[in-house]
Amino acid sequence: MDAENFIPASLYVCPVVASRPVGAYRQVAFVAPEIAALAHPGQFIMVRRAGPALDPLLPRPMCISDADSDLVKILVEPVGKGSAKLAASQVGDRLSVMGPLGTGFDLEGEGPAVLVGGGIGVSPLVLTAGTLAERGRAVRCILGFRARQQAVAAELFRDFDVDVLTEDGSMGRTGLVNEPLPGCLAIEPGQPAPEVFACGPDGMLWEVARISRECGVRAQVSVATHMACGIGSCQGCVIRTKGSYRKACTSGPVFEAGELEW
Amino acid sequence: MVKMPPELAVSLGPLKLAHPIINASGTFDVLEADKILEADLFHDFPFAAYVPKTVTLEPREGNTPPRLYETPAGLLNSIGLANKGIESFIAEDLPRLRELPAPIIASVAGGRTEDYGRCCRLLDAQEEVAAVELNVSCPNVETDGRALGSDPQQTARAAALARQETSKFLIVKLSPNVTDIVAVARAAAGAGADCLSVINTVHGMALDPWSLKPVLGHTTGGLSGPAIKPVALRAVYLVSRELDIPVIGMGGVTTSQDVLEFLAAGATAVAVGTANFRDPLAAARLALGLKELMVERGIGSVAGLIGRAQAPP
Repeated sequence: MDAENFIPASLYVCPVVASRPVGAYRQVAFVAPEIAALAHPGQFIMVRRAGPALDPLLPRPMCISDADSDLVKILVEPVGKGSAKLAASQVGDRLSVMGPLGTGFDLEGEGPAVLVGGGIGVSPLVLTAGTLAERGRAVRCILGFRARQQAVAAELFRDFDVDVLTEDGSMGRTGLVNEPLPGCLAIEPGQPAPEVFACGPDGMLWEVARISRECGVRAQVSVATHMACGIGSCQGCVIRTKGSYRKACTSGPVFEAGELEW
Repeated sequence: MVKMPPELAVSLGPLKLAHPIINASGTFDVLEADKILEADLFHDFPFAAYVPKTVTLEPREGNTPPRLYETPAGLLNSIGLANKGIESFIAEDLPRLRELPAPIIASVAGGRTEDYGRCCRLLDAQEEVAAVELNVSCPNVETDGRALGSDPQQTARAAALARQETSKFLIVKLSPNVTDIVAVARAAAGAGADCLSVINTVHGMALDPWSLKPVLGHTTGGLSGPAIKPVALRAVYLVSRELDIPVIGMGGVTTSQDVLEFLAAGATAVAVGTANFRDPLAAARLALGLKELMVERGIGSVAGLIGRAQAPP
């Protein structure tokens, strides 16, 4: 997605129509036809519970996990006050939502797609996997989690070829995503090279970037930073890239792995 | 008897404001927001005047992240005046900002008092700029733990140097991180300031709940949002009571009732800051809500409301 194809976002109050636990996470679906229509894999929204309450004060950035016709789905891990409040959303609650925002994954390539997700970072890969498959790309997912409670989220990828790993071995294979990754990145002669699409904790993204570089394949990574405005005003969400800070909300959250300075 | 609608227009020195609500510097980038939001911000601009992000003589990349942390009803930031530098601002941004249907208040800062004079000399030649705000109070660029604006003499010197270089409406933005804000206000006014912005962010910090280390990359930061409203309201009340120049009130303004209260405390205009992060169209909603509140309470004009809290009981 580039500046010329950029479609403006807007603000909506959206009713929650489904809210269900996915292991340690919660999947919340709300009605937002305009956002669903425009959503590009890897983009995000700024979202909070609608209403005058001042604590939590600001909306939280949430990856668009999935979108179809009228509905947008987010996957929430209750880690702080803001996310806990969102995770507690019930059917009928209203959310204040701005989006879609940011620069998502570039899906224009041709090679097989290797999606690498860590923990709650699997969220944007659901829509990414679906969209890539619609475009005829081969999709393989490597999903890593702390333990079974989190790894339940792998069910969101049931249509795809999925490799699940947990750190404690309570589900799938024991280990980290960087272990099976190199085996998926072999470049076949005469075939388009594989491409990596990753989202997860910084340490995982760093490893994904290193392995992709060593294998000579392109990697796009979605980063998570503290955000206040989501629309380029506050300069709070910057990330260090080659030569300068760049705003994760407008230049990202998806960056070419090679652009980031770790 | 036909009731007249309340008069929201107000004069801030030579600036004619359609209503009393402007933005706090650094909290709304109209050039970015206009690209991203569907709203046509250049026609339906939510503010009665526009204050761009503070610029400095040289570009600044800002502080090490993390730069943001939310606290109860508040936001800590340590952005560190990241900006493209005054020359790029003048060459790239000002020509686009002149299309806005509101006067522009340029905001400048510097590490030394001389910088304020040099910035004002460059801005004085720009016809798009209606007023200049001297940000002497950013808590995130201090090298010795003190903003220039925490010292009355330094504040006066920055204001005097700026005054020498520009005939434009001159605003000094005061820090709340002082023992006696009225003394700093008097120093600024005595040196030629036409108006005072009250207040900048309040010094603060947060620790990570698990590591028990400072969350912000800069260790400390500036607190904004509803949490600081009582601090700001007091400062506006004291400064506007003691000085004859207009005050722009700011600090936690989030609701139309907040706007009403800052005007009553003595502000001539009110700036919205952190609330823009909560909702980038907040100011438009506040202006509508203010009108409704004034009708409800039989308040005829903003001008008639200013300083009402200071009248003897």
